[in-house]
Amino acid sequence: MNDMTPTREQRTAALEGMGCKRKRVEDIRFTQGKGNYVDDVKLPGMLHGDFVRSPHAHARVKAIHSEEALKVPGVLAVITAETLKTVNLAWMPTLAGDVQMVLADGKVLFQNQEVAFVVATDRYAADDGIAKVEVEYEPLPVLVDPFKAMDPDAPVLREDLAGKTTGAHGPRKHHNHIFEWTVGDKDLTDAAFRKADVTIKELISYHRVHPSPLETCQCVCSFDKIRGELTIWGTFQAPHVIRTVVALIAKIPEHKIHVISPDIGGGFGNKVGAYPGYICAAVASIVTGKPVKWVEDRIENLTATSFARDYHMTAELAATKEGKVTGLRVHVLADHGAFDACADPSKWPAGFFNIVTGSYDIPVAHLAVDGIYTNKAPGGVAYRCSFRVTEAAYCIERAMDILAQKLNMDPAELRLKNFVRPEQFPYHSALGWEYDSGDYATAMKKVMETVKYAGLRQEQADKRAAFKRGETREIMGVGVSFFTEIVGAGPSKNCDILGIAMFDSCEIRLHPTGAGIARVGSKSQGQGHETTWAQIIATEIGIPADNIMVEEGNTDTAPYGLGTYGSRSTPVAGAAIAMAARKIKAKAQMIAAYKLEVHEDDLEWDIDGFRVKGLPEKTMSMKDICWAAYNSVPPGMEPGLEAVSYYDPPNMTYPFGAYICVMDIDVDTGVYKVRRFMALDDCGTRINPMIIEGQVHGGLTEAFAIAMGQEIRYDDAGNVVTGSFMDFFMPTAVETPHWETDFTVTPSPHHPIGAKGVGESPNVGGVPAFSNAVNDAFSFLGSTHIQMPHDYWRNWKAAKSLGVFA
Amino acid sequence: MQIIDSQRIAASREKVWAALNDPAVLKQCIPGCEDLQMSSPTDMAATVVLRVGPVKATFGGKVTLSDLDPPNGYRISGEGSGGVAGFAKGGATVRLEPDGPDATILNYDVDVLIGGRLAQLGGRLIESTTKKLSGEFFAAFGAIVGGEAEAETGEAKRGWLSRLTGSAQGAE
Repeated sequence: MNDMTPTREQRTAALEGMGCKRKRVEDIRFTQGKGNYVDDVKLPGMLHGDFVRSPHAHARVKAIHSEEALKVPGVLAVITAETLKTVNLAWMPTLAGDVQMVLADGKVLFQNQEVAFVVATDRYAADDGIAKVEVEYEPLPVLVDPFKAMDPDAPVLREDLAGKTTGAHGPRKHHNHIFEWTVGDKDLTDAAFRKADVTIKELISYHRVHPSPLETCQCVCSFDKIRGELTIWGTFQAPHVIRTVVALIAKIPEHKIHVISPDIGGGFGNKVGAYPGYICAAVASIVTGKPVKWVEDRIENLTATSFARDYHMTAELAATKEGKVTGLRVHVLADHGAFDACADPSKWPAGFFNIVTGSYDIPVAHLAVDGIYTNKAPGGVAYRCSFRVTEAAYCIERAMDILAQKLNMDPAELRLKNFVRPEQFPYHSALGWEYDSGDYATAMKKVMETVKYAGLRQEQADKRAAFKRGETREIMGVGVSFFTEIVGAGPSKNCDILGIAMFDSCEIRLHPTGAGIARVGSKSQGQGHETTWAQIIATEIGIPADNIMVEEGNTDTAPYGLGTYGSRSTPVAGAAIAMAARKIKAKAQMIAAYKLEVHEDDLEWDIDGFRVKGLPEKTMSMKDICWAAYNSVPPGMEPGLEAVSYYDPPNMTYPFGAYICVMDIDVDTGVYKVRRFMALDDCGTRINPMIIEGQVHGGLTEAFAIAMGQEIRYDDAGNVVTGSFMDFFMPTAVETPHWETDFTVTPSPHHPIGAKGVGESPNVGGVPAFSNAVNDAFSFLGSTHIQMPHDYWRNWKAAKSLGVFA
Repeated sequence: MQIIDSQRIAASREKVWAALNDPAVLKQCIPGCEDLQMSSPTDMAATVVLRVGPVKATFGGKVTLSDLDPPNGYRISGEGSGGVAGFAKGGATVRLEPDGPDATILNYDVDVLIGGRLAQLGGRLIESTTKKLSGEFFAAFGAIVGGEAEAETGEAKRGWLSRLTGSAQGAE
């Protein structure tokens, strides 16, 4: 060894593997405006399609007159449900086992529902054509309030389901009922409530919101009549699933469908589902023989493609007077809108909402969810959370605070008293999950120390006294939230989409010079997969991350994967990447043994290659093994160095975290100020701390948006009154608070690299932290629960209703 | 949304009632009305240009007079479609009370329902717009029938300063 020989630390650093704050490689093109998005796809002769949409929330469509539209220069076709019926595509299946109109078939069920698709030579002509399509409507009674959906005299929304007393998830109780889903032991839970010293019950609503990615949903469909092949460029979070869905409903052989997801400008769950725009663009391309582009505008995005939440949760907790929780009972009224188009794994009509026992060792629990139809847009997607997990976390975290208030106990203390203890893992929850690992109390105490929690409570007590003396008009809230996520869907034993198990996949191909390509079944929408996937491979096989190209989103080249949503990429695809890398490493070891003329078992791995045990100078680097793989493999071995892995996770992963929000609210104006927000996340093994921090910042900002203002609101007539960014709260740098982050590391015992996923944790934990802060601020004035969103107006109204001013 | 208000008009109840049934007067008073054709004494077809916030649209629709109770009042209602801009329907119940032989109190109760893009984009403006439009209608009506001013000098024609200060000569 001489001075020029790199140290072990230098060799490790050169890989930029796991744990490295590697800069995002995709940002080189994004920050220079060189990303390639769907709208950048411009093909010769490309046509543009756009929708005629319903102004009514519920109406019969008596006639559609398109003659005048067809006279508009540039307009080539007006497609209606009648057109689609000729190819049996007027309706399409949803991921939740329901069916959905592609274009209005006889009636419309929500405002801005797709009624006709105008195809023209450019977008302007299409919009001019839309203005000339005359639709005759006969308005029908509108159902907006979910609590009236199952009234005996509620309007019948889904006439197509007449007489169907059974849906995809069991019996239907009413013409507007979709399913009832129950979990847990009702008798034991009821008994726990009868014996309880203390109980609480509260209706906790999680309002309707929308993921609203800055890039809306869009696609370009191009049908090659000669080859009989359909190519679709689209903003798809799950391109392979889209290909399968198209093959199944359009009856085109799957190998003749090419789905390409180029760069995506944010998904947040909005881009998981299949929308009428995709079907119409594909049909229009098949009919015209030309490529057809469809791009949503902002209003269409907010009002028609996939809302999130709209869960109305009645939560009850039973506890001893010392504060030990003895039972949980929850009923959810789930407003699914006009069609059940939830993007959940098939067997989970309410997603993984049964994670609602949270981070607490609750011995018995019972959950019932009723899904219902209303005259609102379909959806129910997991907006920056795993399936219905943010709803569950919000429910239990609000309920715990309400219980603490009733017990006159500090909310952090109540949580510490009820946490699942480290020695209980793997922990079996009362509602059926097996939590893989956790150390909750350590995380909670660490975050409490950082914010000097006891001092905050003392300050709050002083301020409350000052408020009562009339010395200040400002109130202070400390929001405590502790969440457990359930991500990484999922094991084939209980997770599938349309019958396809929710595995994920990776194919790694190393080239002779020690570089390579990794193709993965996931699809980044901003998560930074091109950066982090290469880091996993770098650590696993000792090739620098810079020498690994990551490719996703092309169904012709990437192995079949279920896509990116529900924080599943690292838990599932990340595992597939590690397993594929290990297959390569196993073959590399055989090649190295042959070249070094030792037995395989005499080799040990050392950062970026193999060395002979006991002879540290006798080594072969992975770079050299790559070369050898293409010219001198052991006799009988196939040349080359590549591997494919399809990973079926044995269990979900359970990231967790402790968040504290400190907020001041002026009671006379309702204006709040987030003074401090501390987020501690435990996502197991950390692949790239910089990307994790970015993910946490983004997720907290969306949590802030949801808790403090974002809302898709309908008026009594079914009009969406928050259909643009003028009314739908989209925080900018001006509104966004400063975030502080921290972490603990509790690896997942069943994941190959111990990683758990993090992209959505901050949304799951953030929403209750903000809401608990607001509720905590007002609690001493006599309130128990104030519904979200907590915008200035509602804070002012809360203050007014509590008699703070006349 | 609903607006209840009243207005004193310097004209006899019979004169006010006649004007309420005169399409020429109604056409002058309905804000943005470009055309009003009578097909029967109680049914009219109208073309109205309506602007709510960022959305401006031409509405084609019908205007109907009902619950006629001469000379005490009636209900005037209308509904129309503005195509992609959405739809509007609503009306006003009008009651006339004599205030001496030469003046009438016109009580009105306006209800309006707006749907489609008008409601989505103009949601926060609907209440103020409805108040403004109904105010314009009855101000113009009072001006024409009461003879205090010609319709042309009503609210719509006032300068920006007088609109701000409210110091116009028109009926307000």
